[in-house]
Amino acid sequence: MTLTTHGLRKAFGGVVAIDGADVEFRPGQVNALIGPNGSGKTTFFNCVTGMIKPDAGTVVYGDRDLTGRAPHVVARAGVGRTFQLCRVFPRMTALENVLAAVRPGGLLLGLRSAHRRSEQERALSWLTRLGIEHLAGAEARTMSWGQQKLLELAGVLMAEPATILLDEPAGGVNPALLDRIGTLVRELNAEGRTFVIVEHNMDLVMSISDHIVVFDRGRPIAAGPPAEIRADERVLGAYLGV
Amino acid sequence: MPNASDATAAGLRAPGKWLPLGAAGLLIVAIAAFPSLAPNPYILSSGVIVLNWAVLATSWNFVGGFTGYISLGHGALAGLGGYATGLLITKAGIPSFVALLVAALLVAALAVPIGFAALRVRGASFVIVSIALVLILLLVFQSWSSVTGGSRGLVVPRPFPGMLRPEHHRVFFFLYGGLLLLALATWWLLDRSRFGLGLKAIREDEDKAESLGTPTFAYKLTVFVVSAAFTALAGGLYALWFGDLDPVFQFSVLTGSYIVLMALLGGVRNLYGPVLGAIVVGVALEYFKVEFGNSPLHLVTTGLLLGLVVMFMPDGVIPSLGGLVQRLRKGEQSSIREMTAADLAEQRKREREGASS
Ligand SMILES: Nc1ncnc2c1ncn2[C@@H]1O[C@H](COP(=O)(O)OP(=O)(O)O)[C@@H](O)[C@H]1O
Ligand SMILES: [Mg+2]
Repeated sequence: MTLTTHGLRKAFGGVVAIDGADVEFRPGQVNALIGPNGSGKTTFFNCVTGMIKPDAGTVVYGDRDLTGRAPHVVARAGVGRTFQLCRVFPRMTALENVLAAVRPGGLLLGLRSAHRRSEQERALSWLTRLGIEHLAGAEARTMSWGQQKLLELAGVLMAEPATILLDEPAGGVNPALLDRIGTLVRELNAEGRTFVIVEHNMDLVMSISDHIVVFDRGRPIAAGPPAEIRADERVLGAYLGV
Repeated sequence: MPNASDATAAGLRAPGKWLPLGAAGLLIVAIAAFPSLAPNPYILSSGVIVLNWAVLATSWNFVGGFTGYISLGHGALAGLGGYATGLLITKAGIPSFVALLVAALLVAALAVPIGFAALRVRGASFVIVSIALVLILLLVFQSWSSVTGGSRGLVVPRPFPGMLRPEHHRVFFFLYGGLLLLALATWWLLDRSRFGLGLKAIREDEDKAESLGTPTFAYKLTVFVVSAAFTALAGGLYALWFGDLDPVFQFSVLTGSYIVLMALLGGVRNLYGPVLGAIVVGVALEYFKVEFGNSPLHLVTTGLLLGLVVMFMPDGVIPSLGGLVQRLRKGEQSSIREMTAADLAEQRKREREGASS
């Protein structure tokens, strides 16, 4: 489903973080959202996922208007996300972290055991897929930064979102892990998941994305396939801080 | 690849079945035996008071333990349960134990708007809102004296008029024991449920829980209502047992502080933590009452103890003792093997090589 925003705006006091952004992210693709520090990428994610209410504008996912809806509504609509400063439940084990993404329907369903075998197997298979199954019993706070980033992603995937927003997935991870994350995004995309990735590592962005949106001062200044963006003068200008 | 049963052992610290069941057995035996072992009616009545604390602390732990929201207002919910029970009997002529149940339902219903307002704020703000609730109710019940009896108090008729004192205490000791077991069973059920996992996710990181699809506000409100209902049952039972209610004691911030101290001291992550804390603090309170009467010393000691517990035993005594036992038993060996990124890379490499050869 297409994720679009129209005239999205958000100011913090005098600082206009998002300044009337019209953006379209394409279904089935790996989309990237790039731009200099402070250009409003994280705030954009927060507005889209309901963590922050925008001052103006709309967020539409497929045929649903998600503007200003609570984060759990957005999540249940099929839009999952990770955080720039990776967030896991520190005092839960890795397996519990992933299981916590299971969404009980009603209260009666919620009274069922969290230890149910089928759910555990599904959670464990995500941990396995991300290569951290050996840490299933470890508390998240004892894990390394890279492991926590993988764990956060496993949790998001457990909820089976059709669209996944990643805020700097390669931030602070070593080159080996960087490769793995790139490959993983490609594989998950091949299975039908849509991605929107905020990322500063241009090698990664250029190698995995189909469509790139460039932000500067809270609004898009360019959009297109990697080859086009690489050659765009406005983009170079924004990055060089002209 | 590990299978799900390995994961059950490793990934979910399912509290296990046997330890909680064994402890439940012990608790049942202790409750059954105490009245016959109590040397005099005074000790027996102290037992009733301690069990009342145990129910209150366990009820509080539905909110405090699962979601991490620290309420100092639970004393007032118990007070509401007490007054509602008393008023339903005296003004509406409803039989005692029917009144008790109806009162709990009424307080649960009232907990919806209270929770709706209070659970919008987190952390210290929530604590302050919960204190405000106590103070507002104190004012209301003191000044609305035509209904509540005001400072003169409300006399609640005994449910068993002809019964002698020791027998009266004994019956209520068992009633409280039953209520405690019901509260513990409910907490245990939630603890292992998906709903409970969602609540614990709120305790860890509320925004993150939301972003994973948990309707956090509805979850908090639901568990607050459950907690209020159990708290009101304890308060109502107290009204039937004690027979006299005074707003100053029913709507006191001190009551809420004791409850918090008990739960934190025993450990909020453990089913039996609040019970243990209630026994330790409850017995100490009874002892101090005999030795020193009601003095400001209580307040100072409670504050001091709360500070010490929060600073040195944030998880309460049960995990602290458990950790000690585990260290003694296992020596230096840590329970979970941690892997560094280098270990991980090495292992992956070996796996790849293993697969290709
Ligand atoms: N919660 C906040 N309060 C105040 N200012 C904020 C807040 N979040 C972001 N900003 C400001 O909004 C602008 C955009 O920030 P951000 O969205 O984090 O950018 P990016 O993710 O592209 O680096 C920055 O100037 C930042 O200082
Ligand atoms: Mg950012």
